[in-house]
Amino acid sequence: MTCEIKEKTRVGTVNPIFTCQPAGAQFVSIGVKDCIGIVHGGQGCVMFVRLIFSQHFKESFELASSSVHEDGAVFGACGRVEEGVDVLLSRYPNVKIIPIITTCSTEIIGDDVDGVVRKLNEGLLKEKYPDREVHLIPIHTPSFVGSMVSGYDVAVHDFVKYFSKKDKPSLKINLITGWVNPGDVTELKHLLAEMDVEANVLFEIESFDSPLMPDGSEISHGGTTIEDLTATADAQGTIALNRYEGSKAAKFLEKRWDVPAIIGPTPIGIRNTDTFLQNLKSMTGKQIPQSLVRERGIAMDALTDLTHMFLADKKVAIYGNPDLVIGLAEFCLDLEMKPVLLLLGDDNPNYKTDPRLLALQENVDFEMEVITNADFWELEDRIKNKGLELDLILGHSKGRFVAIDYAIPMVRVGFPVYDRAGHYRYPVVGYKGATWLAEQMANALFTDMEYKKNKEWILNVW
Amino acid sequence: MPHHEFECSKVIPERKQHAVIKGKGEDLTSCLPKGYLNTIPGSISERGCAYCGAKHVIGTPMKDVIHISHGPVGCTYDTWQTKRYISDNDNYQLKYTFATDVKEKHIVFGAEKLLKQNILEAFKAFPKIKRMTIYQTCATALIGDDIDAIAQEVMDELPGVDIFVCNSPGFAGPSQSGGHHKINIAWINQKVGTLEPEITSDYVINYVGEYNIQGDQEVMTDFFKRMGIQVLSTFTGNGSYDDLRGMHRAHLNVLECARSAEYICDELRERYGIPRLDIDGFGFKALGDSLRKIGLFFGIEERAEAIIAEETARWQPELDWYKARLQGKKVCLWPGGSKLWHWANAIQEEMGVKVVSVYTKFGHQGDMEKGISRCGEGALAIDDPNELEGLEALEMLKPDVIFTGKRPGEMAKKVGVPYLNAHAYHNGPYKGYEGWVRFARDIYNAIYSPIHQLAMVDISKDAIPTDRGFVTRRMLSDKGLPEEITSSTVLSPYTGKFDSVSHLRTKTYPDFPRAADTAGDAEEIIAVVE
Repeated sequence: MTCEIKEKTRVGTVNPIFTCQPAGAQFVSIGVKDCIGIVHGGQGCVMFVRLIFSQHFKESFELASSSVHEDGAVFGACGRVEEGVDVLLSRYPNVKIIPIITTCSTEIIGDDVDGVVRKLNEGLLKEKYPDREVHLIPIHTPSFVGSMVSGYDVAVHDFVKYFSKKDKPSLKINLITGWVNPGDVTELKHLLAEMDVEANVLFEIESFDSPLMPDGSEISHGGTTIEDLTATADAQGTIALNRYEGSKAAKFLEKRWDVPAIIGPTPIGIRNTDTFLQNLKSMTGKQIPQSLVRERGIAMDALTDLTHMFLADKKVAIYGNPDLVIGLAEFCLDLEMKPVLLLLGDDNPNYKTDPRLLALQENVDFEMEVITNADFWELEDRIKNKGLELDLILGHSKGRFVAIDYAIPMVRVGFPVYDRAGHYRYPVVGYKGATWLAEQMANALFTDMEYKKNKEWILNVW
Repeated sequence: MPHHEFECSKVIPERKQHAVIKGKGEDLTSCLPKGYLNTIPGSISERGCAYCGAKHVIGTPMKDVIHISHGPVGCTYDTWQTKRYISDNDNYQLKYTFATDVKEKHIVFGAEKLLKQNILEAFKAFPKIKRMTIYQTCATALIGDDIDAIAQEVMDELPGVDIFVCNSPGFAGPSQSGGHHKINIAWINQKVGTLEPEITSDYVINYVGEYNIQGDQEVMTDFFKRMGIQVLSTFTGNGSYDDLRGMHRAHLNVLECARSAEYICDELRERYGIPRLDIDGFGFKALGDSLRKIGLFFGIEERAEAIIAEETARWQPELDWYKARLQGKKVCLWPGGSKLWHWANAIQEEMGVKVVSVYTKFGHQGDMEKGISRCGEGALAIDDPNELEGLEALEMLKPDVIFTGKRPGEMAKKVGVPYLNAHAYHNGPYKGYEGWVRFARDIYNAIYSPIHQLAMVDISKDAIPTDRGFVTRRMLSDKGLPEEITSSTVLSPYTGKFDSVSHLRTKTYPDFPRAADTAGDAEEIIAVVE
């Protein structure tokens, strides 16, 4: 019985699992209040990313483009950034932060974005907007490096690095959530409140699930403020839930401002949530309260109804953001399931030494594969041509055709989900997330039994 | 002065040239916004790029092809599964997308070898597919990869394989429209005339500028087949790569979206002498006129008339049911390009709604000319709109419904305006007689949604009606309508099925005998042209 971690052997990508770095930086940008990013590149790099955000959250988010056209590609397009910053500032009086997010094209032509920012700071901002607080932050996210995951990590780091500044020590902690949904933030804040821990949640995207108000006044936007970002240096510690989405910023805070950092675990499943609470306790000295013992008990009660009766030995393939995939795999093991195939969609060399993956390697008692730099063909080819049999697929909507065409039950989880309603509202983290995930998986299996007429008369009845 | 200056755009004065309000007695000579100019950076324009115009809009609806984008994965990923161009071969082109996955080392050392490996891998993974299109992206255009040479190399090595190359990087033009142009010209230069099609009718057309959104192409092709016309190819929705190589043998190019595909029609006329006929699949009158024109061209008007009579009899009472209830409702018609003029007049005439605004993201002045001329007085026309202008226009015009894309639709939702997806439709297809009724039905369902009405209630201030636990659409829409309409036994809401397309795929058509001498003439015409 082995667990192999290997890189996809083909060079090309058939149906990609991830998009590229600028998308990750854009996701960070919309989480910050009074912030509109300018993506420096062709217009599609923004237009389609905004579309995917709106497909997933069912909301519209503001992001601008420097609209590089042919002349810019030939002669350099720094002027487009200068003009873009001016246009944006002049029309959006509340905007204080403009990250300049680079793309493949503008990195290749070598536009000196840092130089443009210096020039604007010395020129335009002083001359035209002397009384206005404006922060321009260059974020380098060439599309040919990493993926949307590293783009997110880089952008969180760049925001934190730009704003963080020591004032006076506070009792707050920094909680860097990683690429999550509003429902996750709600659940994390609930756990923090029960623990009586004050936290600076980066990024505050609970508001992405925003109301339709009778007066039509609502606009969806993240809530993290400049003050929040500045105060990260004063925190008594940082917990970055995800190793690959936010840990760079946590390490920066530790090194630059002596804010101790705990990286991970992603609190998916009971065990990882327990560890998260333990980390909160050790960082703040706060006790885990009875209310959470009880809440955990409700989750345990729900899981006990499902695991050995319905979920045991079910074979699962999981794909998506690495911390999410690993967290789900760990939870599946606790549920007696067999995560036989994990697909990580980029070539991050650190996967090979990720302690969680190494622990899986040491301990799983069935054949398991972890593919890095993976695409969806790694999944489909195994099913179609190599005899892989699956009971369940966990992942985001882009991989849905494999589930549909091979009639394999699937639970949508991760980003983006555009073919199911309301998923952004539910957590996958914490005890509530554990319950929701397990029940979604069980219900997907039950529905499948009914469609396939596979013992449904007995097996989906308690 | 007909130009309209948005409050939010006063600081960018050049925007004033991009919006007009059609005044009393004014026509195009006095008001036409500028169009298709470079985008103002930072304006939060809604435009896409030339890569997506080429690959996503025109290239990928082609159904039996491996579509590879040569670049980092993002361009491929971001455009994948965001549009509903279905096909009758189990949607291969929707399900599979390919990226060469260019990384940093390739940017430094070149990505041609990577591209070749990719091509070979893709053909190996899908051994039954022998056709491929390759799309350049910003990254590979800038590093100067010679995609054409690699494609040729593979074609030399693998007989039976055919590859098309489209060099349209994202920055190539002010919007997606630049990509439309590039792929049109690339296709006729590289592929038209490289395969001889089998001619099975005396009446042979290419159906051009049609992308089979939710089945539009299949609905329209059904009419053509009922007229005994051979549809040699569709450019490109539900279209086959090899069929499109034989475009040069058609007798007529029937052009739907003149924004995205007029270029290839004009080239086919220039190079092969094939005339271009612009048609409209949207709206009973426009569609009827279109079928008539095609019938007239081939001398088979009676076949067109028979279809028009049959379809009108079947669907007019249902369209009129909606027209009675949509009368005077205000619409913002904010699509991408051609639909502003395809729909402007037709929805006003046939559904009774009033178009209070048109906009175009990537249209040219010619599209605005057509759109504005088909709007009534007071209509606001905006070229390359941006986020703030859109919101200001909604505030000013207070429309009952907006036809636009998914993301702007979310923006409209927040200010209490329901939206219909103008690019991908809600429950389409919208072409054809039945499709047009489906469109009217979707508009009606949006405007009279009880939930939408509820969203406007402020429970802290407004009176809360407590008399019953529900409201139906009819209770809202029929209030104040005359008795002869509300209780009409002729008019009826839509009676078609949820799926109006699949049955067409197995339909059989009458056999129209070919006239031997006419066939001879046609061949002569072609010989002369050659």
